[in-house]
Amino acid sequence: MKDKNPEWETAVLENRKAGESSQKQQEKMKIAEKPVTQNGGQPATGVSERRFRQTDLPAHFIERRMRPRINTQQPPPQAPPRLEDYEPIIGKPELDEIRFLARHLRGKTVKMVNSTAVGGGVAEILNRLIPLMSELEIPTRWDVITGGNDFFEVTKGFHNALQGGEYNLTQQIKDIFMAYSEQNRQRMEFAEDLFVIHDPQPVGLVRSKSQKRGKWIWRCHVDLSNPHPGVWDFLKPMVEQYDATVFSAPAFTRQLASPQYLFYPSIDPLSEKNKDLPEEYVNKVCDDFGIDRSRPVITQISRFDRLKDPVGVVESYKLVKKYVDCQLILAGGGATDDPEGAVVLQEVMEAAGDDPDIIILNLPPWSALEINALQRASTVIVQKSLKEGFGLTVTEGLWKEKPVVAGAVGGIPTQIVHKLTGVLVHSVEGSAYQIRYLLTHPEFAVQMGKNGKEHAKENFLITVNLKRWLLLFQVLLGMAKPNAVL
Amino acid sequence: MATAPQLPITRPRWARSPFYFNSASHLLRIGREKATTLQELLEAIRTCPESSIFQHTFQTLAEHHFIREGFSNDFSHWAFASCNEVELAEQLAAIDVREFTSIATLRERLIHMIETYLQKNPRAATRVAMEPFYLMASDLVVVPTPYVARNLEEFADGLRKVSIHAIYYHFIDARLRLKLNTNDFSVWLEKELDMGQAADKLNRIDIYTSTLEGVRRSILKVVETEMGRA
Repeated sequence: MKDKNPEWETAVLENRKAGESSQKQQEKMKIAEKPVTQNGGQPATGVSERRFRQTDLPAHFIERRMRPRINTQQPPPQAPPRLEDYEPIIGKPELDEIRFLARHLRGKTVKMVNSTAVGGGVAEILNRLIPLMSELEIPTRWDVITGGNDFFEVTKGFHNALQGGEYNLTQQIKDIFMAYSEQNRQRMEFAEDLFVIHDPQPVGLVRSKSQKRGKWIWRCHVDLSNPHPGVWDFLKPMVEQYDATVFSAPAFTRQLASPQYLFYPSIDPLSEKNKDLPEEYVNKVCDDFGIDRSRPVITQISRFDRLKDPVGVVESYKLVKKYVDCQLILAGGGATDDPEGAVVLQEVMEAAGDDPDIIILNLPPWSALEINALQRASTVIVQKSLKEGFGLTVTEGLWKEKPVVAGAVGGIPTQIVHKLTGVLVHSVEGSAYQIRYLLTHPEFAVQMGKNGKEHAKENFLITVNLKRWLLLFQVLLGMAKPNAVL
Repeated sequence: MATAPQLPITRPRWARSPFYFNSASHLLRIGREKATTLQELLEAIRTCPESSIFQHTFQTLAEHHFIREGFSNDFSHWAFASCNEVELAEQLAAIDVREFTSIATLRERLIHMIETYLQKNPRAATRVAMEPFYLMASDLVVVPTPYVARNLEEFADGLRKVSIHAIYYHFIDARLRLKLNTNDFSVWLEKELDMGQAADKLNRIDIYTSTLEGVRRSILKVVETEMGRA
């Protein structure tokens, strides 16, 4: 990266140090270093190997389906792109608008705080967003809160409880949360003009809010539509101190006194997961995994988790297969390190039986390029979730101009305009019918794919996210009056 | 030796005041109202702020500018996709925002349309929709662009180069600012370049059967025809 902002660089280094010191981070690193147990076609621990029934498929497909060639080497991290790199994607006028909005904010300082420097969707977004802000001469510092195991156990419990899970909230738990909040507050300085606090873990930092300086924004990435009442009652007084809150979908909010804004989670069109790929690479990945490109491919990318309904996807595929000769790819991770993931993978294998056209791939976390290629090789992309926040795999499918069939849950109805930019479904039968329709009406599928890509470009790219932050900063600092000329 | 015939030198007609191309960026605010039935939607439309009516009618056109057919406004889409009330959806879809120069009259039309439908179909009022309708509001911030036109050539050049949001801002959103059944481009062509006919032609471009890129092409076609004439 040219012209690195020294402030950003320092912040990242500090964050890495802070992050690495925590037990949670160390565990993550260990996970990354573990050999991939399913490599060479070996299933995850406790998962039996599949046997395929007799088929006319050429032997090399069967061989690769039994023993997929999975990359065991973690690639080096990619340098973050510069703003100008986005011009071929979003166009010069759009880039000019971003630069114009940033011009008014030049020199204003921003602090972003979350709970982890590596891993997870928030860190992924901040890794891209912060260099872009710094490039626009809005010095942005990224701080990560620290805490012991007891703190992260509490915040994990809160995370699940806020999304409707059972939880036993005790005074001791509240004390642990507040003690670490206070410790982090004492450790950090709050001299910036704008503070963006991500998610519930660092929400208590708002106690440093000064009446004289700085605007505070709480960016909630969690679905708060049905929170555990006790946990929400505990956190709400802190949330209400913020000047504004930002949510990922209208369905995820609570009634709050401060204004609530909608920022869709974004994808980076230049990341390994989403960048354009040469056709030869897509073919190579298909060859590595035994995918026959002469027949339609239905794909669901997600970790092996019951809420993603992988067994429901297999059932839908079986209904489609009666009419259309197609293949199903279920690719994801989580089955190697997560005992529950391994159980779900076993259930999926059982549901798939000996059908050689169901290709199940348990991929390591560094498979972004392979996942990108699988999505690009697909005819239809499915995300048949039973519960979902904001389905980034849906956005990834839209961006790749694929027709997407997705469960009408969580934030997905915000991502898909039914029958125009994708299809919303509520059942196995419904998804089977919609997949069949798309496979047998390719012109409709192509038009839907095109609409989906435009929808993603208009709403779900990191450049749109950047623009929304710039607008919100201007509004909060009183620099822009909405519905008036600047 | 014969000399080539001298071509008349055409001088572009200069505008008295230039046309400044602007664009619009918007922030989405999550409203307090939510509807799970048509009756609740009716109540929400009655009480929500004007910025919400604006978001779900005018602004949604900009957000879905790439869809050529089948999308008109969020209320219509919800009546169709979530309530399965096709007749009401068709009626709501037929609302052309360009007929409205104020949000108040647009709100009245929406209320009248839904009320009439629910009187004829009382059971539809309380039937629970597949997905709730969340009312949003739009905060629009106008962003200047570097493009300025003093004559038709520069105007065409600007039209080609500005973002699709600038086309939306000047061609569709303008009605609410001007309080007139026209748009910024037509007003400038007529007032500054005495091109009343071209201005009329722009006002007849159908925004509902075309994408905004298609609208841009149609505007440019009219402007380029005028340039050919000059």
